[in-house]
Amino acid sequence: MLGYSRQPVISLRGVCFEYAHGGFSLNVGELTVASGTRAAAIGPSGSGKTTLLNLISGIERPGSGEVSTAGVRVDRLSSAGRRSFRITTIGFVFQEFLLLEYLDVLDNILYPYRLHPELRLDASVRSRARQLASDLGLAELLARRPSELSQGERQRVAIARALVTAPSLILADEPTGNLDPATKQQALDLLFEQCEARSTTLLMVTHDHGLLDQFAQIVDVEALGPAEA
Amino acid sequence: MRDSIYLAWRYLRHHRTKTLLLVLSLSVFLGLPLIMRAMSRATQQSLLSRAEATPLLLGKKGSSLDLVVEALYFQLKGAEPITKADVDGLQAMDLALGIPIRTGLMARGFPLVGTSLDYFPFRKLRMTEGRGLAMMGECILGAEAAEALGLGPGDALLTSPSTLFDLAGVYPLKLHVVGILEPSFGPDDEAVFVDLRTAWVAEGMGHGHQDLSSAGPDVVLKRKEGTVTANAKLIQYNEITEANIESFHFHGDPSSYPVSAAIVVPHDEKSGVLLRGRFVDAETRQLVRPAQVVDSLNKQIFRFERILEIVVWTVGLATAVMFVLVMVLSWRLRAEELRTMTRLGCSRWKAAQIMGSEIALMVGASVLIAGVFGIVMAQYGETWLQTLILRGS
Repeated sequence: MLGYSRQPVISLRGVCFEYAHGGFSLNVGELTVASGTRAAAIGPSGSGKTTLLNLISGIERPGSGEVSTAGVRVDRLSSAGRRSFRITTIGFVFQEFLLLEYLDVLDNILYPYRLHPELRLDASVRSRARQLASDLGLAELLARRPSELSQGERQRVAIARALVTAPSLILADEPTGNLDPATKQQALDLLFEQCEARSTTLLMVTHDHGLLDQFAQIVDVEALGPAEA
Repeated sequence: MRDSIYLAWRYLRHHRTKTLLLVLSLSVFLGLPLIMRAMSRATQQSLLSRAEATPLLLGKKGSSLDLVVEALYFQLKGAEPITKADVDGLQAMDLALGIPIRTGLMARGFPLVGTSLDYFPFRKLRMTEGRGLAMMGECILGAEAAEALGLGPGDALLTSPSTLFDLAGVYPLKLHVVGILEPSFGPDDEAVFVDLRTAWVAEGMGHGHQDLSSAGPDVVLKRKEGTVTANAKLIQYNEITEANIESFHFHGDPSSYPVSAAIVVPHDEKSGVLLRGRFVDAETRQLVRPAQVVDSLNKQIFRFERILEIVVWTVGLATAVMFVLVMVLSWRLRAEELRTMTRLGCSRWKAAQIMGSEIALMVGASVLIAGVFGIVMAQYGETWLQTLILRGS
């Protein structure tokens, strides 16, 4: 495991989580991901990979234990505090991209700025968004709608949206699951490149074991603790 | 808030057909009461203004509403007539001016109104073309009638026969158009005005034919004590001209001839009170105040308006339910979007704000459209509706 010498961005200790309706629980003895690390979360379907991301981002709150993300005890934050923390500190990339059809590419990239008052959308942000789009090869596509883009282009827009707030952590939930092999590697290269350029920590859920050698840290969710079905 | 409005605007703009339909249905819901009120006000106003401009109306005892509708709006033709003698008798009291009105016949679809020359200054009707009535057989057209028939001074039109199949009945009379009235946005616009005697001729109470004293034996069947009996060869005139006007005459006493009603213009207030007093106990005639009659009619219209309002509110409720249903279904379809918002860190309040902005924008646009429509209706609606109502009536 690499990067332990640096300040941890993700730190979970003695975490127990169970969904209110029951049927699934996730226990994490200890997990640490250092700042700037490129980490992959693996495990079979239903092992709790997405739940792990939800705990780290504060979407879910553990029943017990400590969840610290970017130096903040997420488990101690209120619901509103967790939302505020999430949108200002974490960038998300989803497998289904989840872009909004009624917004053009530029507005999709700037979308987080429309959702929270703590994020102020000004000229510098717009300029950053344009630069980001340019870095991701989207400069010519800013006025297009998501339906007018290829799958790879859509994923690049989703990556730009995740990076636009300059987060310290990117959580990616199988971001290449819907892409063909050539586009997949291209999207990953761009994601890695952008994260490295910004010293952003990346935790990516993947089923593709062929990609693991590109990650500095592998988190086997099944091995974190006794997951019960 | 600005961001919420921006997102809402972009969403509505993207789904413009759905948005437009919703906005229009809401506008109709909001605008309908305005249109209805404007219509009701226009109807009441148009009825009332004419009634208020007519101090008193003399007619046969019976329905005062029928009398007012027939004499003021030239509609219906069921009221029993009074006689010319009644009008002359009123004049003889020297308390008021009596303006006879004879309705009942039509000329190419427009009511033929027989009256006296006093009618025109009384109604403040002015000529836009031509001149006033000077001799029998002439007519003046209301602005709408002239436009619809495409006639002007120098043209002619025929009265419509009261029955098509009675060969022995009254034949159409050819009327010479001598003048066109300025628009007055009232029933006068759709009338064909003639002299009272011309109206009687058109009804068959007076007629003109070739001179029997000089007629040959092929026309005259017998002559006996000043009475000449002619056969069908006798030339009957269907048009009054300067050449044949002398031959037009009335059989019997013209003072017994029918008059639908008489507009009564008292010389002063006192004369009006005296006149009303004299007709209080009249057995066969009545002197009504049209404003009073129309006022009671307006009360009925108001009651009808209340019923309409209930209907409008019911339709409105259905529209509102439909609107809510569309919005709820829309949000259900957008569940994925709402989930993404939450996962990114958007608060429920912010999400509600965005959805609320969508509703607010649509309601705002509807209010704007309904408001603009309301202002336009307030400005011009009365005139349009008066024209529409009078055209339709």
